[in-house]
Amino acid sequence: MQSDIFTYIDPSPFSLMENGPLTGKSVVIQPNMSVRDWPTEAGSAALERYIALEDATVVERLRQAGANIKGSSRMSEMGFGLGGDTGAQALADGIADIVLITDTLGEARVAASTIGAIGFKPSHGIVSRFGLIGLVPSMECYGVLANSLADISDVMRVIAGNDDHDLSMLEGKVPDFDKNYPIEESKGSLAVIQECFDLLSPEDSQDFDKTLKRLNQAGLNIEKFRLADFDLFSKVHKVIGSVEASSAGGKYDGVRYGHRTSSASNWNEMFLKSRGESFGLLVKTYMFQGAYFQFENYKAFENACRIRARLLKEIEGIFNKVDALILPTRRSNIPVDTTLGISKVYDAFLMTLLANVTGSPAISLPGLISRMKNDPGLQIIGPHLGDARLLFIASQLKNIAKRDI
Amino acid sequence: MNYEAVIGLEIHVQLNCSTKMFCDCPNIPGDEPNQNTCPICLWMPGALPQFSQEALEKATLVCLALNCEIQKQSAFDQKVYYYPDLPKGFQLSQAHRPLAKNGWMDIVGEDGNQKKLRIHHIHMEEDVAKLVHEIEGRTPISLVDFNRAGSPLVEIVSEPDMRTPYDAMEFLRRLRTQIRYTGSSEGSMEQGTLRVDANISIRQRGSNELNTKVEVKNMNSIRNVGDAIAYEIKRQTECLKTGEPILLHTRLWDPEKHITTAMRGKFEGPCVPDPSVPHIIISDKWLCHMKSLLPEMPNQKTQRFIKQYGLVHEEAAFMTSERDISEYFEVVVSKKASARTSAHWIATQLLPILKDRNQKIKENPVTPERFAQLLLMLEHDEINTNSAKEVLIRLFDSDRTPEEIVEKFGFKQISDTSEISDLVEKVIADNPSAVANYRKGHEKALGFLIGQAMQASQGKANPKRIQEILMEKLN
Ligand SMILES: [Zn+2]
Repeated sequence: MQSDIFTYIDPSPFSLMENGPLTGKSVVIQPNMSVRDWPTEAGSAALERYIALEDATVVERLRQAGANIKGSSRMSEMGFGLGGDTGAQALADGIADIVLITDTLGEARVAASTIGAIGFKPSHGIVSRFGLIGLVPSMECYGVLANSLADISDVMRVIAGNDDHDLSMLEGKVPDFDKNYPIEESKGSLAVIQECFDLLSPEDSQDFDKTLKRLNQAGLNIEKFRLADFDLFSKVHKVIGSVEASSAGGKYDGVRYGHRTSSASNWNEMFLKSRGESFGLLVKTYMFQGAYFQFENYKAFENACRIRARLLKEIEGIFNKVDALILPTRRSNIPVDTTLGISKVYDAFLMTLLANVTGSPAISLPGLISRMKNDPGLQIIGPHLGDARLLFIASQLKNIAKRDI
Repeated sequence: MNYEAVIGLEIHVQLNCSTKMFCDCPNIPGDEPNQNTCPICLWMPGALPQFSQEALEKATLVCLALNCEIQKQSAFDQKVYYYPDLPKGFQLSQAHRPLAKNGWMDIVGEDGNQKKLRIHHIHMEEDVAKLVHEIEGRTPISLVDFNRAGSPLVEIVSEPDMRTPYDAMEFLRRLRTQIRYTGSSEGSMEQGTLRVDANISIRQRGSNELNTKVEVKNMNSIRNVGDAIAYEIKRQTECLKTGEPILLHTRLWDPEKHITTAMRGKFEGPCVPDPSVPHIIISDKWLCHMKSLLPEMPNQKTQRFIKQYGLVHEEAAFMTSERDISEYFEVVVSKKASARTSAHWIATQLLPILKDRNQKIKENPVTPERFAQLLLMLEHDEINTNSAKEVLIRLFDSDRTPEEIVEKFGFKQISDTSEISDLVEKVIADNPSAVANYRKGHEKALGFLIGQAMQASQGKANPKRIQEILMEKLN
């Protein structure tokens, strides 16, 4: 049922570009990615009846490359978590070849892993956020879901790259997706963080261990690192993310668009009631937590920023020794589409938050963790701006998986 | 008990940039309401801020003119508060990492001594929207005009180095002159392009403690600032004497009643780093370039005017009090008019007329070229002072050259000896008692006789020649 998947279907989704790199490809996006004249409610009553004024840079580039943007899927409120998301389903059902899902906590990778597809989160700062109705600017980005690495590379080649509309982008530092990475140039080694195992169920832990052995047999060095601070990724994300969400959500006043309360006697009351009625409990709690750090405990926010800088250094240190870091994309015993509170949501993304905190590129691959059902996905994380190389490593690992079969 | 006031100022300066700070909308707050808006300054979903290079340049010039150290890296923060004048729930400002720090300005205090007043820092900030309160039928309504939202400002935060209302007023006058010189702002309190808040606390003279301060707003002239501070010092001193506690709060100056009234408890929202506006990184090369754009400032210019043109200090200081005046003066002098006469005539004749006519020296019909021609005729004795004043007034309403006006209205000075001789003889004949008085040694009588001769010539005679001939004939 297409109508269960879409919030909006474009009546004529066909691009006029005949020989573009994405000609003929069907794309489904989320309603927090602006397409001019489309309803763009970002899964929230706070944007009720909001119609986008301009195309997001990514949307414009996809269309110019020949992609047919069919419509927008259902999404969690403001893209926080996966509650109610239907983007992955569009790919699984064959409605789309490519699906875009914002990756704030790891949503794109985790959603891909639930349907046995590939999910890619690019480096922070290489894809323009212009037109993206975000929640956590310093951590979120467009995530790409597809069934083949070739499709992922093709999309990245199209959407990555400088945009004058987004000054927060890293100028002139776009990875070269056409570059070849000769095998001699790689270190041939992957890192595993020991502390991850403590967070996995015995089954997941066993399966992951088996995967590591197979990779090792295939000639790759697996190096184990200790990172006592691993649990801090989640804490840092929670503090900084909620503060940014509180700020980003400040513009929703229910006056210019979005739900407005039916009765209020003055502006303050209207503002409070409109917002109170608009946001779901999860996002409301998240913003409230952010406001707490802003108004009542700024020190904790400053600490989180400092710890984030330290974590970045530690991860950089690991990347100096290995090609990439691997860990499962999710924990197969934890529901991923929960909306039962911030902690539960963060629990669902415990394995993916690292890349959002550090801005690293990360990809989730199916079929590498041997299991018939509920494959949690193998996540590979590369150094910041090492997107192209990461995709190359991913293709090599896929080959190993194929050989095994 | 002997008290002294501790005064610090926070000064918002509206930069006269062509666009707003984070978008390309025209920076014209006074236009038709909500005309100068776009998705960025309305902060619509998905919009991202741009950054105005012009705002950075003009802000930097202000900082340099106030002797500040430009910081190699500065960044914008979000000042969070919720109010209808803010389209996004926060105001972009540089709370943690300002553009410039550690500035200063010298003033001459009331006691005649020079005093160095420090500036803590200067940061960039966007203006907020304007709220318009109206009555529709019987219902009071509030409207929001976003034309001003995102206009570029700098905020100058002084150290609490001022002790008297006089200090504060001098500081503001000097600051205003410096800022206007940079061309970055009109710097007018009356027009709201310069907005001043004063923080005032009281302590025992000689003590170093900083007591609870009270913020005073809503002054719309430098004089107002002085009056408001004076009132607040008196009010707080009374409080101390009667033991009434002084609380941290904001007061509004009432320019009609000359008092301050309590406004509200001071609310300080949090400031968190903004993730969307890039950090400002200043290179040595760019800073050098900015320094080269800084015009010659009033103090240097005063010294140069004294040296180069032989003006006395007061004249030079006056001629450099505004950049436009100094530039006008220099063009006049470049046309060979005498420097001191030029300074004197600009100060005592031209500027008062401009003030009456509500015109600016920069765009006034009496171009420096025409003004110089007039002064040259005066210096060459072609016209006398009275006539020159008459010609000047006529120059405002005519395209003619000073020569043509002198010709047309017959202002040419009578220097011809025989003509003046005739005049003088007639005056001597008509005023025997004054002549007698003069001969008895009453010097005043000479002035009277000269005046009579001038009158007889309808003001056109050369008074110097009259005096010479008169004395010749009387002695
Ligand atoms: Zn604008």
